[in-house]
Parts: sequence; structure tokens; C-alpha cells
Amino acid sequence: MNLKECYEALGGDYEDVLGRLRTEKLVQKFVLKFLNDKSYELLCKSLETGDYEEAFRASHTIKGVCQNLSFTRLYESSHQLTEALRAGWSEEAAGLAERVKADYGRTAAAISEFQKGLEG
Amino acid sequence: MKNRITRFLITSAAAISVLCLVVFSFLAYYMNKQSGDTITAVGTIYMTGMNDRISMHFRTTIEMRLTQVEELVEEYPPEGSGRDGQGLAYGAKARGFNHLASCSGDGRFEMFFGSPVKVTDPEPFLQSIQNNEKKIAVGTDEDGNHLILMAVPAGYDMSDGQKSKALVAGLSVDYIKDILSLDENNTLVYSHIIRKDGSFVIRSAGAFRDTYFHRIRELFTEMGADDAERCVKELQSAMEENRDYSSILELGTERRHLYCAKLPYSEWYLVTVMPYGTLDATVGQLNDQWGYMVAGSCGVVLAALLLVFLRYFGLNKQQLAALEDARKEAVAANKAKSEFLSNMSHDIRTPMNAIVGMTAIASANLEDGERVRNCLRKITMSSKHLLGLINDVLDMSKIESGKMTLNMEQVSLREVMDSIVNIVQPQVKAKNQQFEVQIYDIAAENVYCDSVRLNQVLLNLLSNAIKFTPDGGLIIIAMYQEESPLGDGYVRNHIIVEDTGIGMSETFRKRVFESFVREDNARVNKTEGTGLGMAITKYIVDAMKGSIEVTSQQGKGTRFHVTLEMEKADVEEVDMILPDWNMLVVDDDQLLCESTVASLLDIGIKAEWTQDGESALELVRQRRREHRDFQIILLDWKLPGIDGIETARRINKILNGDIPIILISAYDWNDIEKEAKEAGISGFISKPLFKSTLFYGLRQHMGWREKAKEEETQQAGALEGYRVLLAEDNELNWEIASELLSEEGLKLDWAEDGRACVDMFVRSQPGYYDAILMDIRMPVMNGYEAARAIRELDREDKDVPIIAMTADAFSEDIKKCLECGMNAHVAKPIDIKEVSRILMKYINMR
Repeated sequence: MNLKECYEALGGDYEDVLGRLRTEKLVQKFVLKFLNDKSYELLCKSLETGDYEEAFRASHTIKGVCQNLSFTRLYESSHQLTEALRAGWSEEAAGLAERVKADYGRTAAAISEFQKGLEG
Repeated sequence: MKNRITRFLITSAAAISVLCLVVFSFLAYYMNKQSGDTITAVGTIYMTGMNDRISMHFRTTIEMRLTQVEELVEEYPPEGSGRDGQGLAYGAKARGFNHLASCSGDGRFEMFFGSPVKVTDPEPFLQSIQNNEKKIAVGTDEDGNHLILMAVPAGYDMSDGQKSKALVAGLSVDYIKDILSLDENNTLVYSHIIRKDGSFVIRSAGAFRDTYFHRIRELFTEMGADDAERCVKELQSAMEENRDYSSILELGTERRHLYCAKLPYSEWYLVTVMPYGTLDATVGQLNDQWGYMVAGSCGVVLAALLLVFLRYFGLNKQQLAALEDARKEAVAANKAKSEFLSNMSHDIRTPMNAIVGMTAIASANLEDGERVRNCLRKITMSSKHLLGLINDVLDMSKIESGKMTLNMEQVSLREVMDSIVNIVQPQVKAKNQQFEVQIYDIAAENVYCDSVRLNQVLLNLLSNAIKFTPDGGLIIIAMYQEESPLGDGYVRNHIIVEDTGIGMSETFRKRVFESFVREDNARVNKTEGTGLGMAITKYIVDAMKGSIEVTSQQGKGTRFHVTLEMEKADVEEVDMILPDWNMLVVDDDQLLCESTVASLLDIGIKAEWTQDGESALELVRQRRREHRDFQIILLDWKLPGIDGIETARRINKILNGDIPIILISAYDWNDIEKEAKEAGISGFISKPLFKSTLFYGLRQHMGWREKAKEEETQQAGALEGYRVLLAEDNELNWEIASELLSEEGLKLDWAEDGRACVDMFVRSQPGYYDAILMDIRMPVMNGYEAARAIRELDREDKDVPIIAMTADAFSEDIKKCLECGMNAHVAKPIDIKEVSRILMKYINMR
């Protein structure tokens, strides 16, 4: 699996990110770092504890990272969650949070696979 | 509901009216009776008093007379001077007596003077004299005149040698009558003096009967009353018992008060009768008045009540009507909103169509890089507009609550017109409409304006024109400028959108700028729309302090005229000069030709113009003959007679394809490109033809390199060595930013939140950092607070450029950033060019 395939798998825009970050090496470096980013954990934790302000910020950060990395799919769902959480907790936000979790799962899985391919 | 209230009102009004009538009637009846009773009581008191007075008067008079007789006896005693009788007679005469006699115990009279008298009823008289009592009686003289006789015990010598029992003096009855005023006709009260058996002693005028009892009976019969006997009996028994008697005689309609009292020194009774007539009349009048008053008050109260009820009824009706109106309004509003939701897709679909269409064209021509680029450019424009529209729909609530704000920025009218023409082209094409763009007299291409809103206004007007113009119709958008009354720094822009569509009715024309309004007729219902477009348009134009006018004629077309004052942007315009080549402009619109030639002259080109293909060919031939060919030809696509492409073909035949021929059109180049290229047309310039459009459009065909590109490359590395503090809580984002910005030669320091950023800035040497890039959403302290904190520091470099970087691109966020003292805002994801440009701008500004 190469980086472009990885982007296809996680629903991202490879051309876009390459356009901005210029080299594949750089993109690969940041994509791999995405797995270490703590924002997702923070989001899950704050949603559990009901700290929706913190959840909003975490979701906002995920959105920002996704924009930088052109992870379009996760960007969409995290963006919607951010907007929903801006107004506080709601049924809608709950649904969107589930979507973000699912999208994050797929994104993380794709990156993990890509990483394995590199190591293997 | 309505009926129930009406019924309740009517019922209660009726009930209250009846109650009112009953209460007032009772009041009238009660007062009537009460006043009658009072009058009776007053009458009785008055009568009694009257009778007392009369009998007192009678008593006083009689006693006075009796005293006079006694005086006579004292003055002329029987054993003294009274013996001869002369003195007595003299004394009696002097006291006004008519007769004087001595009377023996058996009733024999011996006259001292006056004619002989006879007692009418001698029995009680004699009895009283024999008892030596004072007494009065009635009698007659020889002529039958009635007399009052007064007897006082006295023993005068009689002719038979006996002593008399009493001295009797006589007076005419008239005297008593006068005294008692018994005969007065002008008094309402009349009195009689009667005996026990009812016979009259003294009768007042009008009493002709023998006895008073007869008279009563007669009177009762006369007046139609029937209890005469009862009255007589009561009177008789009262006289028997020597009581005073007082009674009210009800004589039919008339009432009389009868009072009977015993008179002293006699067996007589004084009967006084007083008719209630006058009193009754007065009382009756009072009662009548009272009655009228009551009836009047009753009427007034009823009228007032009725008025109140009617008013209430009216109010109630109004209220119900208002309620009904409100309900209808709510229903209409609801309907309008739901229609809005279902129709909203249309405005969104317009740019979407452009995107879809261009995507299709691009996919079909993947190998043609130029074409794909062109498509992508248009897709970008449409996407931008689509985003703007979606924002507008979200902003609708703001517009309605009047909170919309304008983002004034430098705008190129050329770009605005280009983008708008590009967006509407597919629609115009789909409906086979003719589309004309007229630009002339443009003094300032770059102005300050809210480009998104201006776009919105133009697109609303144009898409409406397209929507309501049938296939094959004509749509014109025109823009021209003139001097602004606001001064040299401003320019007045006229934008006219005209169509030959269905037009609108006069009534609708007046409402066209209201929300959710679409003309309600069969023709329009086929056309989709949100009904918000014109309201938004009007609102925006108002917010820009401009004006919008509409003229329309049903079936003929509509014309919108927008006038906006805009501030000129003082841009350093690239020195737009082209070689002074000879040029020919061919367009059927004279105004456009003249304006274009004027613009061309500005950029150094001498041009001629003509209005159709044939004359253009003629000119070309002429020049060829003169060996001074045109060096470039601008050719409109739609021309009268032979069209632009055919003209180009023929020109190329004449000139052997020596010179570039450029097509100008408001239509989409992609549609005609193939045909045009085959005809030997070398390029295309899209209308509207601004000066810059002409400059950039012509430049490529004149083999000019783009100077601007060189400038751009020169800029790389311009940020070399500057130090920037970057506040960003996310490590990954930081690394990316750091990586990208380091490429530009920037030195970056990382602060992981707002607090750290402020601290690092505080610890640094003044002037150490050239700028701060600030994320907004950070833990501990967010970007807004951090920016504020830095601005409040006591440092000479507290005005360091702070540029916000955030994923929020809402205008409020941008506004808030600026409010917190930040200089500018860039949206994520980081666009290194944009960030560099802004950093450059603010660093250089210091």
C-alpha cells in the first residue's frame, strides 16, 4: 500500500495535501504522526465525562489537523461535530460524535496498514 | 365560539335590561306610594291644625262676645243702673249687638232693644239658662233673619215682676260667618257648624241640604262613592262620644279631609272639609315628574348599557377578526417557510449546475490542459458563490433581524462581472437566451465593496431575469460609472439588469422586495425560487446605502436599476501599456464599441470600430490595399448578418491568417471553441470588456510575457530570517506549520497554548519576534485572550503583528479576531502563499 492508496482508503485528498506540503516524504511523516496525536483521546474522554467545552476544542483540533492533512472524510464529520458542539450538547451532536469515531477508526486503520506496509 | 359569545352578550344584555326596568318600576311605584302617604300624613296634620285654629277662633270670638255680655251685666247690674234698661241697650249697641233681651227660666224674652227673637232650638238653651250656664244658640228675629244668641246668667226684673234668668244678646249669623271665614269662596277650606243630628247651624256657601248628613250622602252619590253611610255613622258616633273626628273621604278620584270637633258653650260641632285636590295635583305632578325622572334615568342607564354591550360586542368582533387574521398570517408564514425550504434548492442549484457542467466538460477533455484549467477556474468561481449562497441562507435569520454586516474589501469589478457572467452562462445557454454584457465608462475598476454581497445582488437579478424570461428572450446586464456626489474618492456605479421576460403586475412590483414573495399566477408557479432573492437583494443594496429601482410591464419585460456609491480603491495599477498597434473592433453594440475603443486608447492601442461583419470585411480589404493591415482584430461572436466566426473565416481568407483574430463574447468559449479554432480564430476574450480584461487578454496574443509571474518568483525567500512565534496547541499542526514556514526561511518558536505564548513573548527581548501566528482554540488561554493580553502589555513591541490562524471562517470569528487586536486572519489549512503574503504585508508595514 502506498501513500496515495492510503489516502484513498481513509477518504483524503492526496493531490491537495501534496500541493501544500510539496513532498511525499513530508506528507508521509505527518500522516504517520497523526496516530500519535492525542486530540482524539481527549475528545473521547471529554465526551465521556460530559465536558462538552473541552470536547468542542478537541473536535476543533481534529478538524484543524484533518484540514492540514487533507483527510477530507474525517474533516467533514469532525467539522459538523464542532459546529454542533459549538451550541452545546444535543442529540445531533451525539450522532455526529459516533460518526467521528467511525471515521477516525477507518482513518487510523488505513494509516496503521500503511505503516505496516512500510515496516514489512 | 363566535356564536356563543354573541348569544351570551345578547342574553345578558336582555337580562340586565329587564332587571333595570323592574328595579326602576319598583322604585317609581314605591316612591309614588310613599309620597302619597306622606302627603296624607301632612294633610292630616295640616287639617287638624286648621280645625283647631278655626274652633279656637270660634271659641275666642264667642268667649269675647260672652264676656262683653257679662261686662254689660257688671256695668249695668240688675239692682243698679240696669234697672231702667236704657243703659243696657246703649252699652249693647255700643258693643255691636243687634238685639238685647232678658230671658226668663221658661224661655220668655223681654227685649231691651231690637226686634223680638226666638230661639230655634229652645230645649238645650233653656236647660242651660236654668243651670245658670253661659250659652250660645241660634235664633230668628221677626223677619226670619238668623241670629246668634248669647246668654249670660243675670237676674233682671221682668215685666211679670220675676227675675230673669239670663241676659241674651243677639248678633247676625253673618258675623260668625265672617269671623270664621265660613263664607269665603276663595278659600279651599270650608266649614259648617252642625248639630248632633246633622242639621246645619251655620252653613257655608253651597250647602243647600237640610242636614250635613244629607249633604254627605248627596256628595258621595254625586262623586260615585258608595260608603256614605259608613262615613255618616262614624261621624255620628264620634259626636255622641264627644270626640274629635278626622277622616279622609275617598270621593272617586277626589280625596277630601273631613274634621269634626265639638264647639264650646253649645251642642254644636264644627265640620271642616278640605279638598286634597290641590295637594293631590301637586303630589300628582311630583309623582309624574318622579315618574318621568325614573323613566328617563332608566332609559339613560339602559342606553348606556346597550352602548357598552354594543361596544363590547364590536370589540369582541374586532378581536375575533384580529385573531383570525393572526391565524391566517401564521398559516401563510408557515406555508411560506415550508415553500421556502422546498424551493431553497433552486438558488443553490444554479452555481451547482455550473460546477456539474464544468466537471463534465473537464472530464471529457482531460488531455486538454488549457481547457481543464478553464473549467476548474469556473468551478472554483461557482463553488465560491455556492458557499456564499449557503452562508446567505444561514444568514437569513440575521438579515431578518437586521444584523447583517458588510465585509468591505478591495474588489475588482472586472472579477465580479467575470465570475457572474461565468456563473450564468450555462443557464442562459440552457434556455437558448440571448445574453448581452455592456460595460462602458468605467472610471475605477477597483473599488471597496463586499464582493460576496455584490455578487449575490447581481446573481439574484440575473438568475431572476433568466428564470422569468422565456426561451429565446434577451437578457442584458449593463454597468457604467459616473461621478459620485460624495466626492473624488468615490464613484457612482450603475448596474442595469434588463430582460424581455414575462414582467410583473403593478401590485406585485410594489411587493417584489418582500420576503417569501413570488407572484402567484400560473406562469410563475412553474418557475422555482426561494422567494428570498429579491428581499436579500433589497436588503444588501440598502445596507450598501444604494438604491434599487424596478420598472416592469407585464408581458414585455423587467428592468432593475441598481445605483451604488463605492469608494475607489487606490491600487497601484500595473502600468498597462501595450504597443501602439492598429486594431479593429467589431461589435453590433455602438456603445460597447466606443467604450472599448476608449479603453484601448488608454492602454496605448489605436483602434477603429464597426458594427457588422460586412463592413468589417470591407475595412480589412481597404487596409490591405493601403498596405497597412490591422495588427489585431476583436470580433463579436453574435453579429447581424454574417456572424463572428464566418467573418473571421473570410478575414483569414483575405489576410492568409497573418494576424490574430480574437473573439469577444459573453457566451461560453468552450461551446464555440472548436468551431472558432477551425475558422482560424486565435483567442477569446470574455465580455465584459474592462480595461484590464483587454490588457491581459490582448497581452498574450502580443507575445508578452507575464511580468507578474517573475515578480512572484522573486518574492520567494523574502521572509528569510524573520522570527515568528507560533501558538498552536496541537503538535501535529505545529510540525506541519513549522515545516512549511521554515521552507520560507522563517525562524519559528512554538508556544503550546495562549498562556505560553504570552509568557514567551513577555520573556523575549523587545523586537525579538517579528510576528505572532495565533491559533484560536487552545486550552488554558485561547487566542482571543492571548491577543488581548499581549496588546495590554507595557512593551514597545506590543503592537507586534498578530495573525489568527483558525479553521473557522465565519465572518463573526474574523470580526472577533480583529476586535481582540489581531491584525489579520488566515484560514486553515495553512496556505503557505497566503500566510507568507500576509506576514510580508504586516512585517513590512512596521
